Amino acid sequence: MIATLLRIVLRRLLAAVPILVLVSMMLFGILRLLPVDPAAMSVPPNATREEIETVRRDMGLDRPIPEQYVRWALTLLRGDFGTSIHYRKPVGPLLAETLPATIELALAALVVAGFLGIGGGLGLFHVRGTWKAAVGDLGSTALMSIPSFLWAIILILIFAVAFRAMPVAGRLDMAFARPPGTGFLLLDAILAGRLDLLASAAKHLVLPAFALGLSFSPPIMRVLRSGLHDVYAEDYIRQARLRGLDEGRILIGHAARNAMLPTATLLGVQFGFLFGGTLLVEVLFSFPGMGGLMVEAVRNTDLPVIQAIGLTYCLVVLAVNAVTDIVCLLLDPRLRAN
Amino acid sequence: MTSITHRLAAIVAAVAAALAGAEAAAQAKDSVVIGWQSDIPSWDPTQRTSPDSQSIYKAVFDQPLDQAIDLSLKGHLAKSWKLAPDGLSVELEFRDDVVFHNGDKLTSEDFRYTFFERPKRGDKVDLANFWRNVTDIETPSPTRAVIKLSKPMPTAPQWLAFFCSYVLPKRYMESVGLDAFRDKPVGSGPYKVVDYQLGSRMVLERNDAYWGPKPAIRQVTIQVIKEASSRVSAIQAGQVDLTVNVPVREAERLGKEKGLAAQLRPITRVVLLQIRNDLGFADPNIRLALHHAIDKDAISRAFYNGAAVPLSVVATPGSPGHLQDFKFPHDPAKASAYLAKSGFGPDKPAKIKFASTNGHFPSDFEIARALVAMWKKVGIEAELETIEYAKYFELNRGHKLPEATLYSWDNASGDPEIFSGYLLNPNMPFSAWKGPEIGEKVVKLFGVVDYNERIAGYRAINREAVETGASVPLLQSVITVAHKDGLTYAPYGNGWILPQSMAWK
Repeated sequence: MIATLLRIVLRRLLAAVPILVLVSMMLFGILRLLPVDPAAMSVPPNATREEIETVRRDMGLDRPIPEQYVRWALTLLRGDFGTSIHYRKPVGPLLAETLPATIELALAALVVAGFLGIGGGLGLFHVRGTWKAAVGDLGSTALMSIPSFLWAIILILIFAVAFRAMPVAGRLDMAFARPPGTGFLLLDAILAGRLDLLASAAKHLVLPAFALGLSFSPPIMRVLRSGLHDVYAEDYIRQARLRGLDEGRILIGHAARNAMLPTATLLGVQFGFLFGGTLLVEVLFSFPGMGGLMVEAVRNTDLPVIQAIGLTYCLVVLAVNAVTDIVCLLLDPRLRAN
Repeated sequence: MTSITHRLAAIVAAVAAALAGAEAAAQAKDSVVIGWQSDIPSWDPTQRTSPDSQSIYKAVFDQPLDQAIDLSLKGHLAKSWKLAPDGLSVELEFRDDVVFHNGDKLTSEDFRYTFFERPKRGDKVDLANFWRNVTDIETPSPTRAVIKLSKPMPTAPQWLAFFCSYVLPKRYMESVGLDAFRDKPVGSGPYKVVDYQLGSRMVLERNDAYWGPKPAIRQVTIQVIKEASSRVSAIQAGQVDLTVNVPVREAERLGKEKGLAAQLRPITRVVLLQIRNDLGFADPNIRLALHHAIDKDAISRAFYNGAAVPLSVVATPGSPGHLQDFKFPHDPAKASAYLAKSGFGPDKPAKIKFASTNGHFPSDFEIARALVAMWKKVGIEAELETIEYAKYFELNRGHKLPEATLYSWDNASGDPEIFSGYLLNPNMPFSAWKGPEIGEKVVKLFGVVDYNERIAGYRAINREAVETGASVPLLQSVITVAHKDGLTYAPYGNGWILPQSMAWK
């Protein structure tokens, strides 16, 4: 089984290389073809034409696009993402500082989406054929039709403005400084043994995670319910009933596990979307992740930062796909046999 | 079991404490939490021209000169200054009692290092552009410095209180290097940086050894909240004590809420049309018709609740280049007459291209659409194109802007050179106007050293530019500030919101 898993990971890694090259070429090419002038953006208003040209040369923007790409790709291979035009510092540390926040948020949102989706799917299936199922369907449609940014606004208005119970901005309360560590605040707080810090970080994560996760939960509900319908048509469910098992045990202990395979795949796909969806939610909650950095980079035509973030998104999606494959392998012995 | 119970109790207590935390922090009377619209680009204040960052930089760093609330120039690190009659040197006499946050004494060597040595050795700082004509800075004593220039720089004193002109600690920077300095900045200002989280938060602590007036607030937390609606929520939720640049209507609503106050204050920011002197605008009649057709009062009422002040010259009221008695009227009949002189009218419209950003400053695209409608009534057909802010720079630097472009121009100094001078000097890449009639006069003013003569020159240019259709100012923009009603701050005419000016009643 471990050999199979390793083979899958290796295959995924190999497949990722051409995808990454292709994505990086597309990203680089499209950004270079945009009618914007990063050199002009990076100098003050009184800069002379000669000064702008000097900056353009320094940035390598006077070279042919293929040459610019090759130079960038070579520096990338050395682990150097280049220098931010706006911040005038290496892009790598900027990513390292913001990526953990975005991953933490996307994972928290996945937990919310997964919890609501799986719980809701089981619930909807359990009440199938009754008026409760119709109400549940209506509810899940409503959840799905409200986009994440609108959920963010709704949640802020209810829990921050009306009840004054939840924070609007940041990752920690004003009273706390960010602890040194991995950048994953929940983990850092646990490692530091700081419950107060953990509570504060969790509190700041709740609303953004729900804003992101709520609209992602209905597809999970529906896929799980549909999977359960299929599984319930199988003989072994009838046999379980004949053995006298109660419906709850059949649902959770037998049907759910088998119906979970497409759900797990969907969760993996959803994570990619969730990760991309963090951008707006991060801005609305002033959550200092990669989304905020991306918005700032786009505003300032900070090409090296935009390229690095684009590639990072791609890498994360590829990694999640690999993890999803592994999870599916663990869940389904038939896949392992194949 | 008891242990688990205790742990659970501890968790519940921590959660409760955390839930109360933000509120408590925002309400402590020796601290203030500010909801700010953007992060700083760097803790090197000489690095980027960033208008939004000036209020933060001014809390941590000091400038050689400063501006009063009414924008008049005053001494700061330099007790006195003297621009030579030929404009080729500036003498500065520094205070003797200034120390950086790390205890180093601030001397003229630090000034030389910041304004001469770093730019000359090629450090990539915007300050180098502004002070490109510095050939040397002599330091005859620790409190004296003489800036030597290759070209007259009449606005040198104004620039000593403007963008990027902050004095940095030479010894500290040379010992730790730029990266470490940006991680742990050391200035000489009224506040020290104690914590910085990229894109999120800055925590400043009062510098008790500050040479100037001691700030009333001990700790200032600047929470970066980029989205305007989130800033509104934050002040309503009581999680920040003051916030800025909320939508005008929201500011008015917040001002009526119990426990909150809000102001809409006109500042040294001008909404204007950057215009060309060629293409469809080669004919001055069309430019003048276009200007006469604009109802600035209506635009102010529609998009700024009447708070934005209609302008007749590219200078804000109270700034030296402003002409109180000169009014350029909204007169559609006159606009039609100008167009008729050139053979145009509603049946045979003059055609121009017009560019506007969408979302770069409040209601920009809506204003552009209103302008198009106003022009159409008199016989000017404007083809409106939305451009990204980044594309604006590309077009502007390449002299590829269309006939008219809606733009918002910020000038904290209030000096007319940085208003009309920059907009009408044909030698500057920033200027869309390349007409020699006005241009030559403006270029000449860049070399006039005598302050009164220079200002008189710009006042004349401001009037002439409008009367010949070379500039089309629209409105003086406003800054909106919402805050808890127990908090006071100094209302600077250029929109600075300085933490050191804040106090709780």
